[in-house]
Amino acid sequence: MNTTTRREFLITGAASVALSAAIFKSVQGWLGDARQYAGRGLHRPLDGPLTPPTASEIDPVAHALNRLTFGPGPGDHARVAALGVDAFIEEQLAFEKIPDRLCDRAVARFAEVWWEPVGEAYEEDDEALTPVLRRVALLRATYSQRQLFEVMCEFWSDHFNIDAGKGDCRFNKIADDQNVIRKHALGNFREMLRASALSPAMLWYLDGRANVKRTPDEQPNENYARELMELHTLGVHGGYAQADVMEVARCLTGWTILAKKDDGYSGKLLSPLKDRGKVVFRKDAHDDGAKRVLGQNIAAGGGERDLDRVIEIVAAHSSTAQFIATKLCARFIADAPPASAVEQVARSFSESKGDIKTTLRAIFATAEFRGSAGGKLKRPFHFVVSALRAVNAEVSDEMPVLSYLEKMGHSPFRYPTPDGYPADASHWFATLLWRWKFAVALANNKVPGTRIVREKLQRDLGGDAALMATVLNRQPAPDESDAFLKSGDGLALLLASPAFQRC
Amino acid sequence: MSPLANLSTNPDDQRTLVVIFLRGAADGLTLVAPVEDDNYHKFRPRLAVKKSDAVPLDGVFGLHPNLRPLEAAWKEGDLAIAHGAGVEDESRSHFEAQDFMEHGGLAAGGWLGRFLRARGPSGGPLSAVALAPTLPEMLSGAPSAAAIQSIGEFALGKELKPEFPRELERLYALEQDSKPLGAALRAAAVSTFEAIHRIESIDVKAAPANGASYDEKDDFAQGLRQIALLIKANLGLDAASLDLGGWDSHFTQKTLIEPLMRRLANGLAAFRQDLGARMATTSVVVMTEFGRRVAENASFGTDHGRGGAMFVMGGGVKGGRVLGGWPGLKPEFLDGPGDLPVWNNYRNVLAPVLQRHGAQAGSLAKIFPNFPLAPLALY
Repeated sequence: MNTTTRREFLITGAASVALSAAIFKSVQGWLGDARQYAGRGLHRPLDGPLTPPTASEIDPVAHALNRLTFGPGPGDHARVAALGVDAFIEEQLAFEKIPDRLCDRAVARFAEVWWEPVGEAYEEDDEALTPVLRRVALLRATYSQRQLFEVMCEFWSDHFNIDAGKGDCRFNKIADDQNVIRKHALGNFREMLRASALSPAMLWYLDGRANVKRTPDEQPNENYARELMELHTLGVHGGYAQADVMEVARCLTGWTILAKKDDGYSGKLLSPLKDRGKVVFRKDAHDDGAKRVLGQNIAAGGGERDLDRVIEIVAAHSSTAQFIATKLCARFIADAPPASAVEQVARSFSESKGDIKTTLRAIFATAEFRGSAGGKLKRPFHFVVSALRAVNAEVSDEMPVLSYLEKMGHSPFRYPTPDGYPADASHWFATLLWRWKFAVALANNKVPGTRIVREKLQRDLGGDAALMATVLNRQPAPDESDAFLKSGDGLALLLASPAFQRC
Repeated sequence: MSPLANLSTNPDDQRTLVVIFLRGAADGLTLVAPVEDDNYHKFRPRLAVKKSDAVPLDGVFGLHPNLRPLEAAWKEGDLAIAHGAGVEDESRSHFEAQDFMEHGGLAAGGWLGRFLRARGPSGGPLSAVALAPTLPEMLSGAPSAAAIQSIGEFALGKELKPEFPRELERLYALEQDSKPLGAALRAAAVSTFEAIHRIESIDVKAAPANGASYDEKDDFAQGLRQIALLIKANLGLDAASLDLGGWDSHFTQKTLIEPLMRRLANGLAAFRQDLGARMATTSVVVMTEFGRRVAENASFGTDHGRGGAMFVMGGGVKGGRVLGGWPGLKPEFLDGPGDLPVWNNYRNVLAPVLQRHGAQAGSLAKIFPNFPLAPLALY
């Protein structure tokens, strides 16, 4: 993975992007948004066969595209049909092997995403910094060929939710995205969990940095310990008690972040640039007595190893397999997934010791997955990205698109509470108005900074019938064709239609 | 009343909370001046509101004369004031204090967003609006919240032919119960179209009710007018936010804030008159990030302080009162460099208002986490 320090980046000479925020702001007025993509051709080349689906219902290929990706674009159905669904799944799981030049080009102007160490981000103006992650998430979901990987990044971003607006999270959520979510999205759950426990953003977001025991009277901060079990691993009815929360909190005392001001918790900052936001273990703030977590003894004197013991215990717990399997099945099968599928998937999770690829393979192999076509509602982010992909849009400025997502209450990385954006459809039905408005605006090139070439798309696909089948991911029903023709704006109508809200 | 009379999930029918944020730190000691306090006139030899000019409130305070349009609301018991209101954040930085206040401490999301989300799966399509270019942080995390400049932005699109909504409506009406999500999508479309029809039927040029008059050239007044239109159209508007900026009066304070006070008072008075009886279920909260230094500075201005003034109007508030007491401006009582301390944490003013608007007692702790609430007795 491509990492770069900010200083190296400056030396490479791409100074226009890395201008200090103050200068950036002052020139922004007369240059416009310098973060707009200035190149050309930021859309997927339509160089393969573009044959749309021929079935009147969602076929297995269309279903795989609906669930494993943020929606198919022109030609995707033909490609996956030729490849076969199983081979497509394997291709997507081996995401590192998929070349992703278009996406790399799209996000190249956001150098902050690769800055290391995390302390460098603190030099930036947070107002300019916080939208970066949102913008990049939108571009990656839209342009990446590693679609399943991006879908899983979205899933884990909700699972290990951090609101990038809380305190220092505005500076260090970027590192969390890179080093926790993206590093492990298709890796191993236990490793991801450990990385999350030691992520500066998580230590900030759930107050782990303030979980210290320096005097015999000091009470640990239980916030992270509770959410670790309730939301990240066992689930709320997963069989832990308040005593376990307190014991886990004791195990994790002393892990904190170096900060500019010592607010009583953080360690002393030696180098403002290199060390800011660095995670350290403060032995003097750790409760080193014996503990007992979920029935297992942790001997006194474990020091920083206590954290590994805790991660091991909660990750291996049978409730964790059940909880993660349920959430994954809710994402890929149905909001209320059948218990039969959850059982199989939980078993794969346990047997593979939290291997995420193995677990996903188990999901896609279930009869319940195959039988669930068209039964889920796209959440707003999925809807917006699938519309951009369906019409092969070129996004040179993400902010106007993101403002639609804000109106639908689904701005990436801005969910306030640690449970992440809800998965269940019932939370999202009130967003229809803004979905329709987005559909109309997109189809008519009224989303500033986003462009579609409607006539060319229609011509490349070979006419209205093919356009309908491409967007709907199946042949249109007679009522849909009829409405397409009568509406006066067939493309907008398709994107706004009930069928396009489903996946 | 049809089941669609109110399009939101707001359990308390037709209640709207309007939050006015005075950005830049408004001088509470000028808005609501302790004209009877001798120390006030000593600290502010050139800037103090004269007792003879002030609109008398009680034995201690008077409103700045430019706020006279609010006198009726005060006398009719529809306006309550909290002095020494603010945040515990001591940075005296506009950005940090606004941020702190809008998030509700070091919390994720905004307090208004958390309030809206705490109430159910989702608000109506028009549950929350900000009359602003971008969504303020206080609304962050709301189930749906739109930053708009005018009501017209809610329409589906002017370029569309009438056939478009008709065909769209038809497709959603065809959704069968037997299909997954069919019934829910059909129902959602029905209420969305109802909202669209109601917005379209709003006559944006109609004169305000009860002889109210909003200044045509004043953005703030026009923002309030749009909010009043949305409220009266029964769209299920749960919350609206509007800013009035420019209060950072380090230098020649009078010339800076006197016009702002006039705009604030005229706008709010017009809004109250326009809504008439509907004010009983509409609350307006006016807040600012902090107050200003008690002593005036050498350049006829005031510097950043701590405690400021908050207003709560309408919604059944027991007004005509300055709540939370007044300890007086004795120098030993002042905070840090000589500031009015904060003895009414802003959350204690907001909490009872949110309860009035449907927040359950249990959810207040989530809306304002890590803070021991002691709500003011506003009602």
